[in-house]
Amino acid sequence: MPLGSFTESFGAAVSCLSTSHLTDEVIRRSKRMILDTLGVGLLGTSTPVFNTVLQCSQQALENSKVWGRPGLSLPPQYAAFVNGVAVHSMDFDDTWHPATHPSGAVLPAVLALAETLPVKPSGLELLLAFSVGIEVQGRLLRFSKEAHNIPKRFHPPAVVGVMGSAAATAKLLGLPAAQSIAALAIACSSAGAPMANAATQTKPLHMGNAARGGLEATQLALLGLEGNAQILDLESGFGAFYPDYVPHPLAEVTPTSRYRWVLEDQNIAQKRFPAHLGMHWVADAAIEARAKFLDKCPNADLSQIKKITLRVPTSRYVDCPLPVSEHQARHSFQFNCCTALLDGEVTVESFSKSQMIRSALKEMLLKVQLENPQDNHSSFEKMYCEIAVETTQGEMFTARCNTFYGHWRKPLSHVDLVRKFRANASTVLSAEVVEGIIYTVDHLDTNQDCSMLWSYMHFNKHMMDRNERRSSALA
Amino acid sequence: INVCTQRSTRYVSAISAARGLHKSALDVAKRPAPEETVTSSFGRFIQSVQPRHLSPTVLQRSKRMVLDSIGVGLLGSTTDVFELALQHCQHMYAPDDVSFVYGRQGMKLSPTLAAFVNGVAAHSMDFDDTWHPATHPSGAVLPALLAISDMLHNNSKPSGLDFLTAFNVGIEIQGRLMRFSDEAHNIPKRFHPPSVVGTLGSAAACARLLSLDRSQCSNALAIAASLAGAPMANAATQSKPLHIGNASRLGLEAALLASRGLEASPLVLDAVPGVAGFSAFYEDYAPHPISSLEEDEHSFLIEMQDIAFKRFPAHLGMHWIADAAAVVHKTLVGLKGGSISPNLVQDILLRVPLSKYINRPFPETEHQARHSFQFNACTALLDGEVTVQSFQPEALLRPELHALLSRVRLEHPHDNPANFNIMYGEVEVTLVSGDVLRGRCDTFYGHWRNPLSQESLQKKFRSNAGAVLSNKRVERLIEAVEGLDHLDDCKPVLAQLQ
Repeated sequence: MPLGSFTESFGAAVSCLSTSHLTDEVIRRSKRMILDTLGVGLLGTSTPVFNTVLQCSQQALENSKVWGRPGLSLPPQYAAFVNGVAVHSMDFDDTWHPATHPSGAVLPAVLALAETLPVKPSGLELLLAFSVGIEVQGRLLRFSKEAHNIPKRFHPPAVVGVMGSAAATAKLLGLPAAQSIAALAIACSSAGAPMANAATQTKPLHMGNAARGGLEATQLALLGLEGNAQILDLESGFGAFYPDYVPHPLAEVTPTSRYRWVLEDQNIAQKRFPAHLGMHWVADAAIEARAKFLDKCPNADLSQIKKITLRVPTSRYVDCPLPVSEHQARHSFQFNCCTALLDGEVTVESFSKSQMIRSALKEMLLKVQLENPQDNHSSFEKMYCEIAVETTQGEMFTARCNTFYGHWRKPLSHVDLVRKFRANASTVLSAEVVEGIIYTVDHLDTNQDCSMLWSYMHFNKHMMDRNERRSSALA
Repeated sequence: INVCTQRSTRYVSAISAARGLHKSALDVAKRPAPEETVTSSFGRFIQSVQPRHLSPTVLQRSKRMVLDSIGVGLLGSTTDVFELALQHCQHMYAPDDVSFVYGRQGMKLSPTLAAFVNGVAAHSMDFDDTWHPATHPSGAVLPALLAISDMLHNNSKPSGLDFLTAFNVGIEIQGRLMRFSDEAHNIPKRFHPPSVVGTLGSAAACARLLSLDRSQCSNALAIAASLAGAPMANAATQSKPLHIGNASRLGLEAALLASRGLEASPLVLDAVPGVAGFSAFYEDYAPHPISSLEEDEHSFLIEMQDIAFKRFPAHLGMHWIADAAAVVHKTLVGLKGGSISPNLVQDILLRVPLSKYINRPFPETEHQARHSFQFNACTALLDGEVTVQSFQPEALLRPELHALLSRVRLEHPHDNPANFNIMYGEVEVTLVSGDVLRGRCDTFYGHWRNPLSQESLQKKFRSNAGAVLSNKRVERLIEAVEGLDHLDDCKPVLAQLQ
């Protein structure tokens, strides 16, 4: 059967089934099912768990700001959702080892929650909650060897991210240990999304849902909901997401002890352009090969390239010879290689429609061949990229990248990190606000009141505040 | 002292009061010290870590992360997907709430949250239907469909048949998906099936009711896959009902997102080596397409495989053992007359399938009790039946019940697999007098092989619905559902629930 046909057949069936297909027996049985379900549902409204979720669903008096949408607020878990989607929407957010995107699951939830608190947390308390959310993710990832490789089954942010969000929000609320456990347990029931949706438009929702799910879990725990208090110990608990699951307890924390954070031992990678982390090795190698080529032949025409060989690790979901959507392009060794060869860099613009349909790019894509050497492991800690560019003149230019600039082994300088921030933020915010955020974050640990942070995020230089808009329309 | 400790102490002291003798059992009943588990170490860490524990390196690195994250977030707010998600949320969580909530006359919530809470209600007592392969199909689908129906304009409510079609699409998809895996045929160990297939079932049903085109329907399934999957460990806890609530809600969300144009993997149900889609939830996965409706006759799975309705609110496996124990109860009453005294009983042997999460010698909460062979067997031995009331706090604490519980042993015969189509329950009670009484149940009343009569089903409904609705509404609901396929629109059903 051709690939895609099972899924298609389901889509077709769901769409085409009509009343004419219902038989008497089916009707009879389904009416029985409906009746029974209504009855048990009505009875169930007298239970404590029902009352808890009802309370949780009704509260929405406090709202949290949506980034980049002046005047628009949503209940905190939904603000966390959309803002989380924003963070991962272009695959531009940070990456860690073992592999996940830790910050996007935690920060939107923490900020959304902080905004609703009657007494706002200090900057240091915010940082603490954030760090707890990161730490929990790092610890959980170390419970499985499989987690050390580029994922194949579940998308890590959906697995550990929701747990991190639960931990961070529980910390921000100062929940006692038992309730923090409940938050983790409840969050676990929202964990897990399959890899197949990576490289699609749905992938960013994994991050949004992680942020939202963790926050909701904490809210439910606060209302008294409980889950399995041994959720991290059990194979049938968090272990369900890994074939090899070996949990370890966290070290005791006393007021005077020193705590060893995972983040201290293992730094983070921050991306220079919005694409899957693996693309960064490819881009750096290609840029170097291009430089060598142009060095030798200063006025060379890149169409003189006959063949391009990329030696990369095996990873199905980033092997995309001819990407059609921007999401696919961000997950394509071939696309990022050719863009880097053509332009000498990969940028935000590289994934725009106009850049993607360039004929020079399309022609070059046809010349790329992938090889998966045995020693090139599918792990962000170990992988490399080797490129060999062969020209029509018979010349060969090779380059290799072991550690791209921005990787945790070679972190972005502070200047370059801030430059990235300015470039991103100024698409939406005025220079003044951009500098305000830079300043506030830089002084986060010494600032007593950091509510400026979410206020700044609420601006948009292209939009009028919708509340202002309304009143000016009325005037 | 937090609430959790207080509650478990209360149960433990009640147990120790009832049974001075069996100390080892009492030790088992006591919760192991929280410090011993990995989970508790996490809870402790989260609660006890302080700002002063943040080292300069950690501070520096985390500020870099915060800055970068905010920047990419701001940039990301210019993307299509962000705009889509935002519109979805604004629409779904608008201040004008439209969908009814079970048992709360006049109260409304947004459609997805209504689906959520009503789904939780449906599974809150483990009283909802069960199918083979194992899942609870209706609770994941019905709340979402009802919520949508409330959402639709008064003039465009679905007809009864449209509603039934959508409902059956939701059930059918679940049945199909479960047949992709042999593992799915047994009592689950890893992921709770309603959270796996239920979410996609809800997405399919909603997509159908909303009349999405086929590509949107496929996308709805794929988006739902990213919202599926909850581990079994939360079964037998208070969180389990949320699995159904979330399945219903998230399936609805997936359909709504798909209707706005969100796309996901077109291969999500296919088996693609190296990239897991829906296969992520199973060890063995072999998908089959649904044949085209133009070419072949379509027969719904519900036709060849009926459903089980429960007679009392507990895990399905409890029904076999309760019926078997009821046989022994009847014999005992016949022998000794009057009520059963635990002093008569020396030993209770249960022959049941091997399944860790329903083997609970001394359940402490109602949720655990609903998932305990031992509890349900002893209750049926004492009372001749298990009912809704059997799980109330007073019933859980009965001394005579605990006396019996301490005399129970389990055996797991090889011919009794953890499979709802094959399993049986056997109770063997050895009396102090030396007599041995046996009871066996191969197919309990309510199982798909021995379905509840229409009278029994309606009796169950009256008892349940009557707990919150007036008799008039109860009777009207029975009538409306009975005539659902003839209704021009489903308002008569909705009206009784508002």
